[in-house]
Amino acid sequence: MYQYDAFDHAFVRDRNAEFADQVARRLSGEITEDQFKPLRLMNGLYLQLHAYMLRIAVPYGVLSSKQVRKLAHIARTYDRDFGHFTTRQNLQFNWIKLADAPKILEELAEVEMHALQTSGNCIRNTTTDQFAGAAKDEHEDPRPWAELIRQWSSNHPEFTFLPRKFKIAITGADRDRAAVRVHDIGLHARPEGFDVYVGGGLGRTPSLGHRIKTGLKGENLLSYLEAALRVYNRYGRRDNIYKARIKILVAALGPDEYARQVEAEWATLDKSRIDAPVVEIDRIRSFFPAPAWKTGFDAAAFERAKTADPGFARWLRNNTLAHRQDNHLSVTVSLKPVGAPPGDASSAQMDLLADVADAYAYGELRVSHEQNIILPHVAKDDLYALYSRLDAAGLGTANGGKITDMIACPGLDYCSLANARSIPLAQDISRRFEDAQLTDKIGDLSIKISGCINACGHHHVGHIGILGVDKQGVEFYQILLGGRADENAALGVITGKGLSAEAVPDAIERVVQLYLNLRKDESERFIDALERLGREAFAEALHEPA
Amino acid sequence: MSRPNSSYEPQLVNRAGETLTGDEIETLDFDRAVEELDGLNGSYAVAIQPGQDVRALLPFIDHIARFDIAFPGYRDGRGYSSARILREAGFTGAIRAVGDVLRDQLFYMLRCGFDEFLIKDAAPPEAIRAAAQRYATTYQSAADAAAPVWALRHRIPA
Repeated sequence: MYQYDAFDHAFVRDRNAEFADQVARRLSGEITEDQFKPLRLMNGLYLQLHAYMLRIAVPYGVLSSKQVRKLAHIARTYDRDFGHFTTRQNLQFNWIKLADAPKILEELAEVEMHALQTSGNCIRNTTTDQFAGAAKDEHEDPRPWAELIRQWSSNHPEFTFLPRKFKIAITGADRDRAAVRVHDIGLHARPEGFDVYVGGGLGRTPSLGHRIKTGLKGENLLSYLEAALRVYNRYGRRDNIYKARIKILVAALGPDEYARQVEAEWATLDKSRIDAPVVEIDRIRSFFPAPAWKTGFDAAAFERAKTADPGFARWLRNNTLAHRQDNHLSVTVSLKPVGAPPGDASSAQMDLLADVADAYAYGELRVSHEQNIILPHVAKDDLYALYSRLDAAGLGTANGGKITDMIACPGLDYCSLANARSIPLAQDISRRFEDAQLTDKIGDLSIKISGCINACGHHHVGHIGILGVDKQGVEFYQILLGGRADENAALGVITGKGLSAEAVPDAIERVVQLYLNLRKDESERFIDALERLGREAFAEALHEPA
Repeated sequence: MSRPNSSYEPQLVNRAGETLTGDEIETLDFDRAVEELDGLNGSYAVAIQPGQDVRALLPFIDHIARFDIAFPGYRDGRGYSSARILREAGFTGAIRAVGDVLRDQLFYMLRCGFDEFLIKDAAPPEAIRAAAQRYATTYQSAADAAAPVWALRHRIPA
């Protein structure tokens, strides 16, 4: 993975010193809370319902075992012994004291981490495919490009006070696991250059990104982004926080006109001053070599383990992905055990994840936007030992991509914006589908839950989306059907009437049962059947038969 | 408790941290500048509000000694783009930041080509010096002379 040099270290050190000074000035009253807010947000510090929340950046979701141990240490020392992995591939600590924040940032800097630009109206952490560098269908590793963007966007003098937050996602595989079409800018690396999508997003005004450019050369990526951001910074709306994302500007201008303005701006820029030269791109690339692959594969022993331990066989089926090395697989460690908050990990679990990463996965881990931990490279010969250790620590849940592998935002239990609880509902649903055989029979199905219209739980792109709303002081939930965040991205549509929290698990059970009755065969996934039959075919099942 | 910096009267300082006194030069608003600058002789300052396109004034740049770029609220970042566009177009006169200008914006303003600041702070000269020295490293090129990190890494002259 990328290693800081003296310049990178100096930057983070200077940034932390600046923030420590800002915290001191806030505590002395030299800056007001109103003035402090954007400064602390740019350093990842939110004031939540009960305490400060510190959001740590995990650049493009890549972590070393050493970093994970540091996160475990911080959870143990400064928080309540756990952390929460987010849909932005980051990690949040929910119970932080303001006075501890500079000290935590110092500790993070020791392992080349920070909380920069994880919040605020600036360019946020660039997200990517959690299987980067491992997946069989990848033709361009997105991580070096994400690192290039991380550096360019760090403390960018022109783009630190944007109309609103700005999220870039990048993929380099055929299958889009980075959801690039629901980001402010989505980049899809192809052999002939980048496809650039703009104006995607969820929130109050969900929309899919428009492709405004193809064949953008990597050597010009930064100057093109600079032009795209400048047009947004100058003309994005600032009169209404809910109309300030770039998707609103792109919709108002039309994608063609926005693209034309970007091209015109791009033509004025001195690209040689903005674009990092090939030698720098190559330098960054050199930090992402393939590991020294373990060789060999004892197929007979592997088969014996599968036969002897059906739990292992099931976990293999659900939680692994084909790897570019035939004797390896990528592993999803589910942070969605039945009845627990999605994405949470205790410090003991984080330590264990670091240990197994060292023992079996070349010391490398990833955070997925589905809020799971990925071990991207595991030799097949090591899988059973890995599974046994994970399972013993409560991390062997075999539900990758299945109905209980839900995304849920923190919801009303933590968040000051939420209208409704998300985590307890996710827990209720996961208990309803606890049965392993039923889960496997249902197959791939994504449920995504947001506690309010801001859509942090990505409900628009869940095959089944659940949106919490407040109806005269009572929590209600609207159900959306048909969303997906992959290369065939689509937005789900609200179907049927709002439901009480108690009614939601029953409604989902009826919809799923109907799918099982109507599907052509086991290979027809829920989303395929839904698209074949139409949403209306499922609408009635949402409600109790009269 | 100290008193909030934003409660101080604005003071005018340059990028070296020197206090500037008031100036005599006439200031035009944007609309008047666009309409009249072509026929005017002499040198003027032009006040730019967020949303006004400084490129419309590039044909008359020889008549403009200074741009006063307004930050009506310090979260409004449009002024940074205005300043960079002017510097990229070769404007060498003064660019002054006015409005809600506080010390935590100065680093960004210095990098985007501002060189005068009407700032609210207990100690403006110290604020400017601290901002100028805050970062040893900058990742991007901007309107100032700082080389991006990639140029330093590979010893590429600016």
